[in-house]
Amino acid sequence: MTAVAYVEVGDRPIKAVNDDIRAAIAAGNEVVVTNTLSRHNLGIGLPDGAKVRFEGSVGYYCGGLNNGAHIEITRDAGWGLGEAMAAGEILVQGYVGMSAGASMRGGLIHIRGDAGPRCGVAMKGGDIIVEGRIGYLSGFMAHAGRIIALGGAGDACADSLWGGEVWVAGPIASLGVDTKVVEPEPAEVEAVEKLLASRGLDDAGRDWKKIVSAQKLWYFDSRDSRAWLMI
Amino acid sequence: MCGIAGRILGRPGTVGADLVAMMEAMVHRGGDSTGFALYGERRDDGYIVRVVGDDRRRLSADLETFLGVLRDCGGDFLEDPTWDDTGQRHVSVRMIVSPPRVDLADWVARADAIGGFQIQSVGRSLEIVKDVGTAQEVAAKHRVATFVGTHGIANARMATESKVSPTASHPFWARPFPDVAIVHNGQLTNYFLLKDRLTRKGYRFLTENDSELIAVWISDQMAKGHDLESALERSLRALDGVFTYLITTADRLGMAKDRWAIKPLAAVEDGPDLAIATEEQAVRKVYPGEVAVQTFDGPDQTATWAVGMVEVMR
Repeated sequence: MTAVAYVEVGDRPIKAVNDDIRAAIAAGNEVVVTNTLSRHNLGIGLPDGAKVRFEGSVGYYCGGLNNGAHIEITRDAGWGLGEAMAAGEILVQGYVGMSAGASMRGGLIHIRGDAGPRCGVAMKGGDIIVEGRIGYLSGFMAHAGRIIALGGAGDACADSLWGGEVWVAGPIASLGVDTKVVEPEPAEVEAVEKLLASRGLDDAGRDWKKIVSAQKLWYFDSRDSRAWLMI
Repeated sequence: MCGIAGRILGRPGTVGADLVAMMEAMVHRGGDSTGFALYGERRDDGYIVRVVGDDRRRLSADLETFLGVLRDCGGDFLEDPTWDDTGQRHVSVRMIVSPPRVDLADWVARADAIGGFQIQSVGRSLEIVKDVGTAQEVAAKHRVATFVGTHGIANARMATESKVSPTASHPFWARPFPDVAIVHNGQLTNYFLLKDRLTRKGYRFLTENDSELIAVWISDQMAKGHDLESALERSLRALDGVFTYLITTADRLGMAKDRWAIKPLAAVEDGPDLAIATEEQAVRKVYPGEVAVQTFDGPDQTATWAVGMVEVMR
């Protein structure tokens, strides 16, 4: 059985907290972080194989630059959750603020509640599963990877999507510029449902809308300038 | 970047200390200047006037001139003015004045024309305390944490568009509307257009800061008959640029956030009390337990809260 180490946040400097988390991981422990008080930059650059649970809400950039750790947050997370993560998994039991998974390259972010605006902005790989609704401008300028929203999407969904896919079950308030809704291949649906089933989210009855780039903005032509305007 | 915060207490209490604690948690968002708009006990007999003087060595002469103009307008000092004793060149003065017999706007215009003194706020309960420096420095210098009142707003400023000085710090008073103050995170792109329009209507601005414009623009809407909710709603389209702002009157606190959803805001409502700030970790300074936090992450949002619900409901 793996030993559990506890790290307290409170008013301590975040660098000291993160150093303690790293030391506990290096000593072979699972880590439970307490009294998080919505502080920023907790658990940055955690290594492959680590297990860290934040008990409470965290602030900005939690789990950023994740290199393969399994991270859980028992309440809400602030902006920039898992920014630029390369591998591993982040599970959030509550709501996640703006720009979850910004520029991420790999791994999985699983959000049980809703996600704020710009979920998956500029992401370049990996998966984001949101059991609730994704906010305004989600998937904005993403290059690769998948965003999977089970509870619908806000305005300007997948705006200026470059590559990658946004899968939405539920109502979409409006689509962003240069997007198109395509009929997913059965094998693609199977892959998405298999990923969801692995997270305990089995449901064969979902009505998927798969949104991809219409690729009109790949090559700028001044005659198409109206296509860039979103207001 | 900037950080803003607001606090409402159902019964008069430690609004100064709470705002200081919230601002200390956001010092990293801006240390150029810090300011507080605080609402204490309402004075029915006159106005609280907060002034920054340019030169402490001229203080007694400037006070005499200021009092002369006030008396010409039918007002007077109700108490002896007080000021900070730091010895810095600029000096922060607090006065209690009886209401001038002329229109408040006329008196403020005449007082502004004297020079040497800049009026930072006029109100029955509002006092704006602001200065250059971090939250800790400004709070310590002006003893903000000892302030007892019902509500207030605060700002930590990282200056982008105009100069750094006590007068150019937030919050801004909605000259000449008593008891209206604003703090703003963002920048407007149609500032000059709207300022020209308001200037042609006779409004005057103390600074070249876009946030001061919002306070006057909202107050002008309210003078035209709109309530605060409707004025905030109209600002979403009238103001162009990036903004999340908090505005306070004698009995309300309101917020508005632009269509781009760039600047954060999080709040905890606790019965008649409210704590609201750019960063959730600032709100957690006054609510350290696990509480339900309302985030304003989406675009095009407005909200208002009443001050003194406890009194109203009794």
